[in-house]
Amino acid sequence: MGARIEAASALTSRGLRKPSARRLADATARTCLAHAGREPGDIDMLINTGIYREDNMGEPALAAIVQEDIGANLGQPPVGGHGTFSFDLLNGTCGVISAIQLQAGMLRSGLIRLGAIVTSDVHPDLKDPRSAPFRPAGGTLLLGWDDSTPGFTDFHSETFPEYEDLFVSGLVWQGRRRQSQMVIDSKPGYHARLVDCAEEATRRFLHGLGIDISEIDLLVPAPSSPDFLDRLRARLGVPGDRVAYCTEDLEGCYTTGPIAALQAAIKSGRLGEARNTVMLAAGAGITVALALYRQLTPRVTRCE
Amino acid sequence: MADDQGSKQAEQWLALESPGSGGSRGCRIESVGVKLPSRRLTTRDLMSRTRHRTRIQLERLTGIHERRVVGPGENSFTLAAGAARDCLAHSQHRAADIEMLISASITRSRGGSWQSFEPPLSLYIKQAIGATQAVNFDLSNACAGMLTGVFVLADLISRGEIGCGMVVSGEYISHLSWNSARQIRSLFSKQLASLTLGDAGAAVIVERAPDGAPGIDVIGFTTLAEHSRLCLAFPSTVGPGAQMYTKSRALQKVAIQDMAPLVAEAIGEAGIDLSDIDYLIPHQTSARAIRQGLQEFTRRLGVKPKHMVVNLEEYGNTSSTTLFVALHKYLEEQRMHKADRVMLLSIASGVEIGIAIFTIDSQVDRYGRTH
Repeated sequence: MGARIEAASALTSRGLRKPSARRLADATARTCLAHAGREPGDIDMLINTGIYREDNMGEPALAAIVQEDIGANLGQPPVGGHGTFSFDLLNGTCGVISAIQLQAGMLRSGLIRLGAIVTSDVHPDLKDPRSAPFRPAGGTLLLGWDDSTPGFTDFHSETFPEYEDLFVSGLVWQGRRRQSQMVIDSKPGYHARLVDCAEEATRRFLHGLGIDISEIDLLVPAPSSPDFLDRLRARLGVPGDRVAYCTEDLEGCYTTGPIAALQAAIKSGRLGEARNTVMLAAGAGITVALALYRQLTPRVTRCE
Repeated sequence: MADDQGSKQAEQWLALESPGSGGSRGCRIESVGVKLPSRRLTTRDLMSRTRHRTRIQLERLTGIHERRVVGPGENSFTLAAGAARDCLAHSQHRAADIEMLISASITRSRGGSWQSFEPPLSLYIKQAIGATQAVNFDLSNACAGMLTGVFVLADLISRGEIGCGMVVSGEYISHLSWNSARQIRSLFSKQLASLTLGDAGAAVIVERAPDGAPGIDVIGFTTLAEHSRLCLAFPSTVGPGAQMYTKSRALQKVAIQDMAPLVAEAIGEAGIDLSDIDYLIPHQTSARAIRQGLQEFTRRLGVKPKHMVVNLEEYGNTSSTTLFVALHKYLEEQRMHKADRVMLLSIASGVEIGIAIFTIDSQVDRYGRTH
């Protein structure tokens, strides 16, 4: 028994003149629900893990707005019905895995029956989109309960604060321009350290579980840049055919990275065939988050 | 498991956690800490500095006499770290015991006008207090952020995934008041609510309750998302920080109309009556709104709690920290006693409704010495 991936959907902002974080999240949520054969009202909990928005809205949680847009349990609370609880979780590239950990637990405790995790990032300064170190994209992951599969069984998170200054971002007030400007500062060496930390944390995670790297059928990593993936894969000794690379159009997406990689793995059928799948995300902090997803028998999971 | 889930969810609108008191899976609020800036700003002083002559009688309207505002060197991070240290000082835990640390503030300032996005503020806070091994992330859920964090921890602790966690929030949010003061013209401005805000840090430790000990009876949340756009905040164009636009009357109407059945659901799950609540601590917005809310509860549910906690006069609306600033004050003033039952009632942009019911226990012994 465990929390199972019901569907995953990721989308770039291709073709949109002014990408919107909200619209990307809305679109992927609708697609994902359709592919899972679910209704918006089935969602008990909706967590948004996206970070960068065109308007830098501080409140409410973007998740609440997505809930309204997709029409998940709106209206007055009737006695006997069930609602949707929405909030945002911020943990950079690792946010999706943090949210999976929370929802997998709540599925286990019976607090929820269907969880949705939405992500989206667009660069806040639309005047200079080229300065964005990521590709605008959004994604949605649906998690349900399954009596016949272990699903998400183990999670691990580590931080390496000695590298906390290598990637920082924030809003700074620009008096002359009379607006707050997003500053994203990635220092030289960040990506190399990301590989170091990801390797170290992965080895520790698997050692703690008593699992050898050779027993990992599929590695679902983020960020999705080949620069990170190829070096990590080589360091861990994982063959290329056991790594879920996201499609080219989603390469370089940000918090959506884990969902984009999952979507590719689902589409190719490799997630369904894998007994032991490790999701890995590494980002600012440096933070590394890992999850083990186990299946006893091959499953078909839908995606778009 | 699946059958249990089905029957449970079909009956409840709230995502409702009821770990139970004293059971092996129970959890409790072990400690609460705050960090309040020493600088005070009276409502009279704030309103004397509005750019336009507004004729708004804010103190009479809201019951707020003054609020705390940050001084030099203070920001969201320092308030959060200060509150976390105060929480540990009232706790039997050491920082090294904290297995998960959640930062839940709306504001994330960390020096100058810098609002930190990445790394998450929780990373800096856990490093500052020495909880270096804790899993950390930030939550953002407007003024319901801290109670959302407690909800998350309650589930993890009830299942035995962790034994002890901390939720912390540092709100340097008074810049919204200054930005509002530059623009507001009348009582009908959507920026009126920004004038009620004050700065504060708060932290809470949630732990596994010992067998037989009282703790959190019920904690639940829902999002009434049909009203998600009633209160919106964006970076300001008149000064550092943000501007908030609130349809206050509509928000209050939603709260009054929809809160009562949700409270009824929570107290029903706890197997008690509203009159069994010794202290109801609502989100602190305005004294008038809180009074009206209480009247509606009483009318709909037929009973009322023994005491309604209002601390607006001293602190104003300290956003995500209000519930725990009020709880801390009552513990320090030794107004609460063992076996007292407390209800925390969160209402926030979204519209988020959160309800927690818990019983005071031995934590009360560790407060009052500084009062």
